[in-house]
Amino acid sequence: MEEFDDSEIARLLRLKRYEQPPPAYFENFLHEFHRRQRDELLRQPLWRICLVRAQTFMSRLEVPSLASYPTAVAAVLACAAIVSLKMYQQPETARVALQSPPSISASANAEGELNLASPVSMPILRTLPVRSFHGSAQTHRAAPTRYVLDSVPVSYEPSFRF
Amino acid sequence: MEQPRTDPDQELVKRTQAGDAGAFDELVIKYTPRLYGLVYNMTSNHEDTNDLLQDIFAKAYRAIRGFRGKSSFYTWIHSISVNMTLNFLKKRGRRFQLSLDDVDASIQNDKEFLEVTATSSPVREADLSELQRRLNEAMMKLSDEHRAVVTMFHIQGMPHAEISKILRVSEGTVRSRLFYANRQLQNYLDEFRKNPVS
Repeated sequence: MEEFDDSEIARLLRLKRYEQPPPAYFENFLHEFHRRQRDELLRQPLWRICLVRAQTFMSRLEVPSLASYPTAVAAVLACAAIVSLKMYQQPETARVALQSPPSISASANAEGELNLASPVSMPILRTLPVRSFHGSAQTHRAAPTRYVLDSVPVSYEPSFRF
Repeated sequence: MEQPRTDPDQELVKRTQAGDAGAFDELVIKYTPRLYGLVYNMTSNHEDTNDLLQDIFAKAYRAIRGFRGKSSFYTWIHSISVNMTLNFLKKRGRRFQLSLDDVDASIQNDKEFLEVTATSSPVREADLSELQRRLNEAMMKLSDEHRAVVTMFHIQGMPHAEISKILRVSEGTVRSRLFYANRQLQNYLDEFRKNPVS
């Protein structure tokens, strides 16, 4: 009675090496691998892509100590501190510039005229009657009352008067 | 005294770790046929093998930065492949269909094939596709762990020591798994012997 012994089973199993995928399979495998990698990359969030690229950049520099997470966190914190310090200093001047105009406009309104404190002339439109009401009523009865605007651009006026 | 072996892939691994994707491509080209055989003979399904192989290389690429060269790249990538395939098989369970690759025509010139068909009457009587189907069915009746050992030892021709490194078990465990798997295969194929064309 014939039986499969160990060596025969081993020989049969070795024949399974002849089970092969289609001929072009191995040539296309790498292209398929690249395509899937690209697809996976596109699905990743932006921060992860940035992190990977930063890691690659650091490893190219061959400075492993700099690529460590604690050092990277420390560097980011230091940068953030410098930036925030600069941002904190800038608003000091800006705040002064913003606060001064109301006091200027208040004095200009109170005096009715511009003074030395206001370098920027305010647009004040003064209406002056050309003639007195009575005279004009006699000679030009039908004519409507005319007003001439003092139309000299305020920017032409001197910014201060003595 | 045993000389420490240098990893032939060391240079490619270093270049990949430095960000050279082309070096990893070379590793993919080099190991795809071998890993394909490993995964295919564990799953007996071409489509599953293809998907798994893509995932294996993707995982290896992500993890290669952490590869410190304590083992060879060959052992490392085989460990990843076996572990991922075993995990996949656990999830897949028993519900699957065989999706077998064609047997290469060059088998007709293989010395071992000629010997097997000349000496064994069941094999002689069955056609090639029937033999392939029976063999794969017998393989799939083994547990996943036993099939992994049979694949690496009988089909891929790996030594016991290499298999033990990949599976992280002792060589004794590898030998006992092989012995047990051979007995089981013998039983399954005896049915084939008794009824070769069913």
